Amino acid sequence: MLPEYFDFYCRTRIVAGPGLAAGFGNELGRLGGSRAFIVTDRVVRDLGLLDPVVRSLAVGGLDVVGTFDDIPPNSGFGVVMQGVEACRTAGGDILIAIGGGSVLDTAKGMNIVLCLGGDIADYQGFGLINEPLRPLVAVPTTAGTGSEVTAYAVIRDDATRSKQSLVSPYLAADLAVLDPELTLGLPPALTASTGMDALTHAVEAYLSTNSKPISDGLALHACRIIARWLPAAVSSGDDLEARYQMLTASCVAGMAFSAAMVGCVHALAHALGGLFHVPHGLANALLLAGGMEYNLPAVEERLADLAAAFGVGPTGERSRDAAAAIRFVRELVARVGLPSCLREAGVPEDGLEEAAETACIDAAIYTNPREATPEELLEVLRKAF
Amino acid sequence: MAFFKDAAELYECIGGFFKEAAKDPDMGPKIRESKLIITFEYSAPDSRITVDAKNPAAPGDFFTIITGPTDLTPDVRMSMSADIAHRFWFGKVNLVQALAKGEMKAQGPIPSILKLLPAIKPAYELYPEYLKKIGKADKLI
Ligand SMILES: [Fe+2]
Repeated sequence: MLPEYFDFYCRTRIVAGPGLAAGFGNELGRLGGSRAFIVTDRVVRDLGLLDPVVRSLAVGGLDVVGTFDDIPPNSGFGVVMQGVEACRTAGGDILIAIGGGSVLDTAKGMNIVLCLGGDIADYQGFGLINEPLRPLVAVPTTAGTGSEVTAYAVIRDDATRSKQSLVSPYLAADLAVLDPELTLGLPPALTASTGMDALTHAVEAYLSTNSKPISDGLALHACRIIARWLPAAVSSGDDLEARYQMLTASCVAGMAFSAAMVGCVHALAHALGGLFHVPHGLANALLLAGGMEYNLPAVEERLADLAAAFGVGPTGERSRDAAAAIRFVRELVARVGLPSCLREAGVPEDGLEEAAETACIDAAIYTNPREATPEELLEVLRKAF
Repeated sequence: MAFFKDAAELYECIGGFFKEAAKDPDMGPKIRESKLIITFEYSAPDSRITVDAKNPAAPGDFFTIITGPTDLTPDVRMSMSADIAHRFWFGKVNLVQALAKGEMKAQGPIPSILKLLPAIKPAYELYPEYLKKIGKADKLI
């Protein structure tokens, strides 16, 4: 079928290479801004990961005027507003975000309020942010969210205990610095769960009702890289090539899902994160195979394509390929040593129903290939419990 | 050419249809349950319709429809051209695309908007019926 329309947009300049965190100073001049405000978390700071970045800022002629590092794993609207205050007080005019998804998304949320004023909650919706914000440099320290290039910031609304998506092409960073050396110290469990988040982005982007030729190419390539390199990144954390491949794949998958959006696995993961603080990557890892299985009747052909990307097809029979793709994901989760069910991840059994209801009205559900009901999503959760 | 020649005609067609929906035993309760105030801001012609499912409605109605300005503060604001709105109620607008193209804007909690989409599905068949009933068959698409 000939599609009526598609669009694709990625505004981020991406630079990548080992050691680059200390060597991107000459990239900064064209961004504008001279007073750098660093957004990060305590773990990143204590690991000393800020040091190389600060050297780059000095080379680029930027003064570091302040740092905000009080960011929890599932950041919320309140944290964003604290960050805004801190940046305003320090007089920062360019944001440097160094960390995982929560840090990057907090910096994006701060950027909205710093430029446009008001409260972060005012910007829930679509089409509300239509102008460039302040320059934002994103330096990811996990290989998972791809947030450096996405048009989204997913932030918890503490009042409703739900994850809210803020959307605008201008949220993507101006400059993304991919330095695999920053991810060398990630422990195996975190490497595994964040890597599974990246894989979920790629798979759901490929299955999305909003997929398009450009995101398809990116999604399949990300699947290839992750299938090939995630186990090595988990088992040999100091394998720089595996780290480089995963950081790149996370970014490629980020571009894919920024354009195509995601589906029921993310809707469920957002619900479990909002209600029970289940880490995002882990929730995705535990639900991805089940989500693919649920969507099988609608997207068997597409699932079969994934088998080839994973290196477990084609067999010449499409239905067998689709099943192989699902099996591959299930085995991968076990291979990288993650918990095998939601119960082990601390989800209470009597909370599944509320999670299914919440997922049904999550923004991510809208592009799922099957129109999901709360009952069907509850079944997906039960099977993963 | 635009579907509606002026705000009065839009209020007659879309506004009148919303007022019928307010009595609909199928859609009405689900919209009422949202407890939202939703304002639709239209351009070409400039006009606005507010759906108030928060405050008490008249007997027989599940919610209140206000055409034109109001002092109510909406929880959700949807803005679009009147033509997009007209097409939307025929079920002929792909929401994801319309949002991506900037043809529609939405302000407010996305989950509460998404929650309403299944509830309003019957409208896609009822809107053309309503237009025929009020002698506006020329507006059918
Ligand atoms: Fe994700």
